[in-house]
Amino acid sequence: MIGIIGKVLLSLAFVTGLASAVFYFLSAKNDDNRTLKIGNWIAGVQGLFIIAASVILVYLLFTHQFQYYYVFNYTSLDLANKYIWSAFYGGQEGSFLLWIFFSWLFGLGLMKWTRDPYKAPVLFFLMFTQLFLLSMILGWHFGDITIGASPFRTIAEEMPNAPFIQANPNFIPADGTGLNDLLKSPYMMIHPPILFAGFSMMTIPYCFAMAALWKEKYNEWVGPALPWTLSANVALLSAIFLGGYWAYVTLSFGGFWAWDPVENAALVPWLFGTAGIHTMIIQRKSAIAQKSSILFAILAYVAIVYETFLTRSGILADSSVHSFVDLGLYNQLLIFMLVITGVGFGMFAWRYKKLPTQEKESSILSREFMSFTGAMLLMILGLVIILGTSSPIIGLLFNENPTPPEISFYNNWSMPIAIIMAIFTVLGQYLFWKKYSAESLLADLMYPIIVTSVCTVSSIIFGEVRNVYYMLYLFTGWFAVIGNGWVMIRLMAKKPKLIGGAVSHIGFGALMIGILASSAFNTPMLDKRTEDYNAQVKAGLVKDEQGFKINDPVTMLNLELNKPTIINGKYIATYEGYSIDNQNRPGQQTYKILFEPIDGGKAFYLYPEVYPMLATSTAENVQWSVDPDVHSGWFRDIYLYVAGSSYVTQRNSSIERKAGIQKPTDGEENVPEKQTIKFSKGEVVSVGGFEMNFLNYAMEDTTKLPPRTSIGVRAQIELTQLGSGEKFLLEPLFALYNDDEGKTFVFAPPVELPDFGLSFSFTKVYPETSEIDLEITGLTEEYQDEWVLIVAEHKPFISVVWLGTFLIMIGFGISIFRHWSREKEKI
Amino acid sequence: MKPKLILAIVAIIGFTSLLMYNFGESISTYTDFEAAKSMSNAHVAGTLDDTKEYGFSMETKLFTFYMKDEAGEVRRVVFPKPKPNNFEQADRLVVIGEMKGDTFYAKDMLMKCPSKYNNADPSQFTSAENS
Repeated sequence: MIGIIGKVLLSLAFVTGLASAVFYFLSAKNDDNRTLKIGNWIAGVQGLFIIAASVILVYLLFTHQFQYYYVFNYTSLDLANKYIWSAFYGGQEGSFLLWIFFSWLFGLGLMKWTRDPYKAPVLFFLMFTQLFLLSMILGWHFGDITIGASPFRTIAEEMPNAPFIQANPNFIPADGTGLNDLLKSPYMMIHPPILFAGFSMMTIPYCFAMAALWKEKYNEWVGPALPWTLSANVALLSAIFLGGYWAYVTLSFGGFWAWDPVENAALVPWLFGTAGIHTMIIQRKSAIAQKSSILFAILAYVAIVYETFLTRSGILADSSVHSFVDLGLYNQLLIFMLVITGVGFGMFAWRYKKLPTQEKESSILSREFMSFTGAMLLMILGLVIILGTSSPIIGLLFNENPTPPEISFYNNWSMPIAIIMAIFTVLGQYLFWKKYSAESLLADLMYPIIVTSVCTVSSIIFGEVRNVYYMLYLFTGWFAVIGNGWVMIRLMAKKPKLIGGAVSHIGFGALMIGILASSAFNTPMLDKRTEDYNAQVKAGLVKDEQGFKINDPVTMLNLELNKPTIINGKYIATYEGYSIDNQNRPGQQTYKILFEPIDGGKAFYLYPEVYPMLATSTAENVQWSVDPDVHSGWFRDIYLYVAGSSYVTQRNSSIERKAGIQKPTDGEENVPEKQTIKFSKGEVVSVGGFEMNFLNYAMEDTTKLPPRTSIGVRAQIELTQLGSGEKFLLEPLFALYNDDEGKTFVFAPPVELPDFGLSFSFTKVYPETSEIDLEITGLTEEYQDEWVLIVAEHKPFISVVWLGTFLIMIGFGISIFRHWSREKEKI
Repeated sequence: MKPKLILAIVAIIGFTSLLMYNFGESISTYTDFEAAKSMSNAHVAGTLDDTKEYGFSMETKLFTFYMKDEAGEVRRVVFPKPKPNNFEQADRLVVIGEMKGDTFYAKDMLMKCPSKYNNADPSQFTSAENS
């Protein structure tokens, strides 16, 4: 019932949006203020419908109404409240709704702050794009045609032919499938809202460009459009950063960027938007480049719509790790993309002849030429990335079933472009603030070049850089940092409000250096034995059981419990056991690995996790997932995840035994009747289908013990039977007493657990380490040393990647203030 | 025409052809195990054959599983890394590498995971209600 209200609200939002667009259109056409006001009022009402629909979806999610497919598909009863918010935009339908909400919200800003003659046409075009988004979640049926996939559709509507629906049309699942464990992350809570805020704001320059073409006012629009474009770019960059950081600390591919189409989907609009910012700035200053500003404003939004099409239509199903499956929106998305592109470039072509052209060409050593070149380079990089991302379509030119390009395609093209960009950022910043001839520019650049050379040579020496290409790249990266830094320092004294550009360009240089250092000089952390083995692999001396040469070096390292291992000749790594946590993710193990720098630095722990993916695990088949841990430092990060452990291996074999998959080979092995296992406090030991956790000591009242007892202590052992999850608290006693002759005896009466045929005796205390020995009788499996298999990577200067990103954001932020404070006065 | 314009056109054509040539070189085609025998960097798409044993070997540090390609052939695949997250969830695997004998040696593996869209069957989730 509530779902029907939701659907009706979305339909009303669509209808009112349409009405509002009509009024905006009339107002723009007739320059009539009355129709504009009506349009605004209707748009306001439309917002109420959008908000009400969103509230209903939130309500359905929080009240676990699993008869709704969206609720069933993305949540479950055990999902923490904060992640129910993530589930709101975890799927296509909800994320469209979020996008629509932001589009409406920024529309309010445009109503308030946009001036004539742009106001009506800008609002018209914003509403025009918003209608396409709304159409994606309408869920209207006309015969065989369906428009949109409603977030409010029920399971019965989603799969009417399913047998359980045929049997019981009112079927309500008891629980939902739950949110993907990887998305249960604070970064993934805030990433989508920021991304869609960015997408919505990037629509605004497009609307302004369309308005400029319509009204033939080609110059003034860049003033009000600039703060929006800058804000859109900060939002997109923040979203990219959050996504990259999430991937780095959550996924096991060990990096922050993989040129995945979904990542590119946010990067390309950012690049086009940044290109647009460059041309808008020179257009505002010098009243040139009107054509390119309009073109980039169109391109940035077209890129968003195009990448939306790619990621949501299912076309990338094979090439992206996380694209959406088609919801039947393919045609609608295609129409959306074609209309936005057609209208954008069509309007441009229609007015092309009337667009102002530059009378006199700018000289090469001018800020106009430099900014324009910067914009072109950004555009070229964007086009290269679009080409790579479009491989499922453009690749058809080359073969019938194209794969995505190799990663090297992106790297090989972006590196030289970045090198050229870096040089132009410095020249551009110098020329932006002062007129130079070639000679005077070179003279002024002398000191920055000297400092750059010193920095580059030091990096080459300390970083042991051997590759000439990398050296050149490093030089230009440093040049961007230092040259722009020089400009920034000079400006700080005179016009501190204008340093935005310089700061962003410093950030770009830092980003370049950080990317190279953390990826090209990323090294696996291994012990001597593995390194020797890898040297043999490299020499081609290792063959596998089939006699084929092994080409791949081992990048994993095995650590045994409490056995220090020297890795990379720099650290002593010790695996100190694990603990089990049932709070966040039931069955999660947190491993404790100590790193001690050999040169005497501060020791630190890493806590990688392994947990069962409950959404997809069954009793017979537990799927383990990993959560890496990162130790961050200014100079390097240590990234580490657990690839396997004795615990997981034992759990798997006990699961298989229970399911009857594994042959009962255990009986043939000689399991000793009595086993003595050493425990340290808090450590979990898993053996023979049981888990034992030595919680603490408990002092025993000596008066209750036999006379002449010198020490009496109990150990609290929590025993868990893994099959049933049943827990027992055992408190075996350890006591020392002296006989008449002063001889000391140990008194360790066994604690019996007859149901399982087990008995436990507490036989020894190690006072210096607080460890204890337990003698256990009746275990069906021999206790083996605990081990953990880790993949650890040493990533130098990854901090500089984040630093560079933040500097770019700060630079843009400063520029937003500057342009906004100027525009505000004009309102 | 102005010489500058000609220069610009030549530069654009040159850049575009180089880009497209390089793009064509760096993409490959999805294939099956049979055809992969004659290729050095083959992308084979398929699904996990979970009726056969799969797992990570501590001795060889290799992850081994059986994959059924789109022609229906099942082959052993060896991957020199730990089992990736979401491996079993993937409804499609793409292994990149080469065939040696009857074994495919993957140097990379992509998984198509229904991370945003779970097409789980709601009828499986009735147990809590019934029991």
